[in-house]
Amino acid sequence: MTVRVPQHERLSLGNGVALILVPRRDVPLVAFNAVLRGGGLADPGSRPGVASIVAGLLEKGAGERNAYAFADVVEGVGGSFGAGAGPEAITVRGQFLARDQQLMLELLADALLRPLLDGGELEELADRHIELIKAAKDSDPSELIGTYGRAFLFEDHPYGRPVFGSEASLAAIDRDDVLRYYEGQFGAERLILVLAGDIDADLLARMAADSFSRWPATAAPPPALARPRARGGRRVQLIDFPGSAQTYFWVGSVGVDKRYPRRAALDLVNTLFGGRFTSLLNSELRIKSGLSYGARSSFARGSVPGEFSLRSFAQTENTGRALELALRTLDRLRCDGVSREMLESARAYTLGQYPLGLETAADWAAVLAEIELYGLGKAYIDEYPAQLAAVGVAEAQAVIEEAFPAADSVAIVAIGDAARIEGALSEYGPVSRMSLTDPEFSLPWASGDGFRP
Amino acid sequence: MTVSTVPLEEVPRPPRADLAPPRRLRVSGSEDVRAATLANGMRVIVWPVRNIPNIALYNWVRAGSRNEAPGATGLAHFFEHMMFNGTSRHPPGEFDRLMEAEGGANNAFTSDDVTVYQDWFPAGALERVLDLESDRVAHLAFTPEVIESERGVVASERRLRVEDNSHGLLAEQVQATAFVAHPYRFPTIGWPADIRSWRLEDLQAFYRTYYAPNNLTLALAGDLDPQGAIALVRRFFEPIPAQAPPPPVRTVEPEQLCERRVLVRRRAQTPLLQCAYKAPAAADSRAPAVSLLLGALVEGDASRLHRILVEDRRLAIEVGGHWQEGFDPGLLWLSLVLPEGVDAEEAREALDAELAAVVADGITEAELERARNLATVGLWKKLASIDGKAQLLGEYEVFHGDWSRLFDAPARIAEVTADGLRTVAAEILDVRRRTLGVLIPSEEARGAPAAAPPASVGP
Repeated sequence: MTVRVPQHERLSLGNGVALILVPRRDVPLVAFNAVLRGGGLADPGSRPGVASIVAGLLEKGAGERNAYAFADVVEGVGGSFGAGAGPEAITVRGQFLARDQQLMLELLADALLRPLLDGGELEELADRHIELIKAAKDSDPSELIGTYGRAFLFEDHPYGRPVFGSEASLAAIDRDDVLRYYEGQFGAERLILVLAGDIDADLLARMAADSFSRWPATAAPPPALARPRARGGRRVQLIDFPGSAQTYFWVGSVGVDKRYPRRAALDLVNTLFGGRFTSLLNSELRIKSGLSYGARSSFARGSVPGEFSLRSFAQTENTGRALELALRTLDRLRCDGVSREMLESARAYTLGQYPLGLETAADWAAVLAEIELYGLGKAYIDEYPAQLAAVGVAEAQAVIEEAFPAADSVAIVAIGDAARIEGALSEYGPVSRMSLTDPEFSLPWASGDGFRP
Repeated sequence: MTVSTVPLEEVPRPPRADLAPPRRLRVSGSEDVRAATLANGMRVIVWPVRNIPNIALYNWVRAGSRNEAPGATGLAHFFEHMMFNGTSRHPPGEFDRLMEAEGGANNAFTSDDVTVYQDWFPAGALERVLDLESDRVAHLAFTPEVIESERGVVASERRLRVEDNSHGLLAEQVQATAFVAHPYRFPTIGWPADIRSWRLEDLQAFYRTYYAPNNLTLALAGDLDPQGAIALVRRFFEPIPAQAPPPPVRTVEPEQLCERRVLVRRRAQTPLLQCAYKAPAAADSRAPAVSLLLGALVEGDASRLHRILVEDRRLAIEVGGHWQEGFDPGLLWLSLVLPEGVDAEEAREALDAELAAVVADGITEAELERARNLATVGLWKKLASIDGKAQLLGEYEVFHGDWSRLFDAPARIAEVTADGLRTVAAEILDVRRRTLGVLIPSEEARGAPAAAPPASVGP
């Protein structure tokens, strides 16, 4: 038995809405995934976070309901409804009991077509998001390290912007920003709507057509996304967290995009490097040395190349040792490549694990939306096992050269006690320093575009 | 409940399915669940599900920080780490290497009550996985160098979850203050001095006592044949001899006489407030009412405390809650993250006023219905995956004495009345039986030791 894209229906409404229906009847739940192209890409450069705030406001009052009434009706039937922004799209998702599938679609139509975008709710949401960033700094600074890392690596490229916003940018967002975003970025041709689970497909298709087919398209496509430039050399961003017990570090470089043709080989090599428990990275930093609770690596792939990153953490006094070990492991991958035996193990592992993310109706709603968003086609899933089977050592070597950085050509970000670790870090390149309590995720760029108020 | 029909008049609405939850939960395939008790007392439960070609395995060990003693706190959790580190048949590292090479991934977690080992693997690897799982129950070996290295890993985990984490730091202090006698006072990760000082003998004794087949419950869900899977489990686990049952935890926490308070100062931006109320054990007949009470108070944006404290009064940015559902009476936690600069005392007063209202007046029928529906959907979401199914089977078998009670859950949820819930609220939300923890941001950098000691215990 292999996992294949389930039977589904793909309809295109006249105005460009893509509607995908995926019946699946094991449990009496229905899930939706509504993806609107644009996301953080369409944020004003000086105010990241607008898309995220717009997404948050979709459920804070829509149609005839204010924010309280909306939450009451969703949760009153046991449903869930939430939205968030990513770098290239806003995603709204939720799950309801099958008996409430019509209500679910009504609420979604209200949220997308008739959001109130209330000024009071905006102020409350932005304030809350600012405080949530501070709380994350207090209770899990490693959760934010990717945001710091992308800002340092991509600089003023849109992938470098904090999509959630920064404390400073969130404080500056006003209702005009929100209305301008909604008017410019919400429209029919941007919408991918997937409905999955114990659905009445005919009924929902008719309802969706009634609700969405009169929605106008937007005036212009989402802003174009340039390929990020890889800056050569190695540099360090130190984020001071006085008194911290350990240092959290991130090492990144510009990687590959969603349509990278060697995706199966990439998955296998990353599995071996930092994608599973016995990976090279975790073996060095955890299993053999006991320096860290864990170390891993991943690729974020978008319409254009996102980041390769590795991350780990170690006790403050072991910062240099742990970072050195991580970089040496990266060099080792570049020098030694992977053996046939390693590749076989990674292949078995990847083949054994990927079905676990393709199990529930909610899983399929998310995956089919992603396939549609990036134009990947169902071969992206159906041919994946055959692609994995075909990867040989030579292709793995090609991936290592194309997608993994040399250890002397990376951006390094460390959150830790600056007074105790700056010396060790300065061995790895010029160090720029900021504080964990700064209201931005980056220092202002030399080019300066008014990022800092 | 009103449902808007604004844009959709022309679409006929099908009759809503019977709104009363069924007495028994009907899940496709649930009639195929099989269970067995091996000759050595080990329990096995299997659930065939064929959506994907994989199996989820949960091996529940009845040993947690509840079974520890002063000087060796954190041992159950450290032991969980050591279970991956070599047997007399396989050197350290082999367990993961062999499992991953056949497509399997694994993890584990330790709580106050149990240690649970999880594997997710392709159906064809079942034999390999059972071989590895039974091997580490029967033949675990301890290598001194590996013990030392793993000590470092756990210390790093503690720094991540406690020392560099306001939430974890405060919760540890609150838990240690809430119990004076019962071992639920120990942090599962262990006190730092204990992490540094476990000895080989401690590990050996713990292994002999708790890692016996009669102390295990194995749950499997996925692409398997029930009888074949049970036969395989027998082949690998039945030869392991039963042992004397572990000593019972005899300590009963004495009645709490008055509210306890603990204050932590830490360099931080956001204050925290945590309330831990004494609450019933998992098997208590009031369990469904306790779950629904918690759901009504903190689950979702329309929950009572979120609406009042986060939205109306803006005294908190997040409210959360958790019922530590264990073998013995434990804690029901309510946890608030406050915005920078908000006075924790003001937030506490607002919280107390709202809880007093719940005790006095109960919750509305609409709030009860909302909590019931959220609980029902929550159950279905778990039942949608083999992982959730294996977890639920084990949880019901271990904490409720019988896996089949899982299928009574909707009926038990439906039976809770507003009045019954008010009674339970009055029993639990009693200020005299709670521990209040407050974390106040402080400008001073923290020195060693990592945390300030509790500044006041009273009143």
